[in-house]
Amino acid sequence: MTDLKLSHSIPRILLLAVVAGFFSATAQAQVVVNPSVLVRVGITPLTGGEGRMATEVLGADLKRTGMISPVDGGSGEYAASGEVTDSGVTGKLVNKKSGEEVFSQTFSGKARAATHLFADAITKAVTGLPGFASSRLAFVSDSSGAKELYLGDIDGYGVRAITHDGVISASPSLNHDATKLTYTSYKSGYPDIYLIDLSSGGRNRIAFFPGINSGPSFSPDGSQIAMTLSKDGNPEVYVMPTSGGTPVRITRTRGAETSPSWSPTGDRLVYSSDDRGSPQLFISSSTDVSEMDHLVTGNSYCTKPDWSPDGKLIAFTTRIGGQFQIGVFDVASRNAHLITTSGGEDPAWTADSRHLVYSNNGRLYLLDVVSHQSLPIETSVSGAGEPTVSR
Amino acid sequence: MNKKCLAPLLIAVTLALAGCKSDKNGSYTDMGADNGTLPNGDKVDLSGGIPPTRPGGDFNPDKDVNYGTLESDTVYFAFDSSTIPGAERAKLAAAAEWLKANPGHALFLAGHADKRGTPEYNRALGERRALAVREYMVGLGLPAASLFTNSYGSDRPAVQGDTEQAYAKNRRVQIGVIVQK
Repeated sequence: MTDLKLSHSIPRILLLAVVAGFFSATAQAQVVVNPSVLVRVGITPLTGGEGRMATEVLGADLKRTGMISPVDGGSGEYAASGEVTDSGVTGKLVNKKSGEEVFSQTFSGKARAATHLFADAITKAVTGLPGFASSRLAFVSDSSGAKELYLGDIDGYGVRAITHDGVISASPSLNHDATKLTYTSYKSGYPDIYLIDLSSGGRNRIAFFPGINSGPSFSPDGSQIAMTLSKDGNPEVYVMPTSGGTPVRITRTRGAETSPSWSPTGDRLVYSSDDRGSPQLFISSSTDVSEMDHLVTGNSYCTKPDWSPDGKLIAFTTRIGGQFQIGVFDVASRNAHLITTSGGEDPAWTADSRHLVYSNNGRLYLLDVVSHQSLPIETSVSGAGEPTVSR
Repeated sequence: MNKKCLAPLLIAVTLALAGCKSDKNGSYTDMGADNGTLPNGDKVDLSGGIPPTRPGGDFNPDKDVNYGTLESDTVYFAFDSSTIPGAERAKLAAAAEWLKANPGHALFLAGHADKRGTPEYNRALGERRALAVREYMVGLGLPAASLFTNSYGSDRPAVQGDTEQAYAKNRRVQIGVIVQK
């Protein structure tokens, strides 16, 4: 229908521009000059009872960043070592060129969780970008017969069902530190929005207006939730405080607005609207009804946008030739391109603004948008969709 | 798209303008206002739509709706559309006749989408289909208070499968009768 200007691979120049953008934002980044060269971090096996497991987890975490090559202790530009204790991991990183200790720090928690924190500290130190090894992952799966919520680590470890309601659960959103989760549930028979406290398991119904209450999304600081409500006669985007209160209307159209996602500064929302006939992406203010800025992607079907934590990119689901793929819209240049070729839906950025978790045919994947490498996230759960990650 | 919304809108605007005439002698003179707010005027809701409601009490749409009675009046839609196809409208007229012949009952309009697309967009699409059917039936003279809606998005297909035939059967609004207790 429309001329598809989306290319199937990122042009080299754009790719370099994106990478350059990542690093220009992080002036304190050491060493990384050429983004095609991985930073080599030598890992001396961690000591302690669970040292073997922690060493494996650390290496896998660093490799997953796409920017670090974990190598044997003794080689590499950096040297990582540490000890697993009962209360956490004491980790040390040394810059071998200068001989300086970059950090020596205790990461508390169980061995596996503390190792993820150690990996994120190394990632931050050597690339300047936040790591996502310690991020949590939530998604829905219908493998039990009904769509239930699942929660685990972003590497797929420890995934388990956290609802057993036997009704439709949908569209989970984790807050930045994974202490809260908001989602849509048909527990009442209708789609209502619920808030779960992940430390206590306490669950409250927070939006249950007539019509649909759906697609909740936490603001970057977790203080507000954007959502779709149809209480006024049509599915529109609203924002309400996480602590409760009256939803403020953000859109006013005759179409359906869905899947709001916040800018990192929290002052704008990107969402999908079919007011012009087919679903397209728009940005508007997160405080009141304002002008809608149409993001022209060259494709007639664009839904489920997710704004990257660095504010530069918006990932979305698009329909091309009857198949669903992931696209990325560059906010500054206003260009869009495809980043999957074999299918994908529901992209969610990780903390580094470089990786996307997405679903395809009931499986979850982690995609590096710079290298275009896509790796399955191994869980024992089939029928998975609608992933969300803390960041 | 949304042409059906224009007719009631025009009527509403016409009524609103008629209401601006001065009370007694039927002559309207103040043409000075150019910002759209005339003296004694009000505003029409340009976003359209009749706000949905939920039945009171312990009504549960999973238990208290009988979809058997009006099963043959299920309305089907085109892909990514909430416009009621012309050929489907006779079903709604039939359902409206049933409700007029059975006063005291209320109908439950359950909107659905096929599995293609993101779940959130499909939920809104199902809602818009249900609300479009409700608006159409209000236009047939049924009270809005006797018409309730819900959307199940793509989560409750009538037919499983990845064929266009299956998809066509799943893009629908089911019309149920609310069971009286």
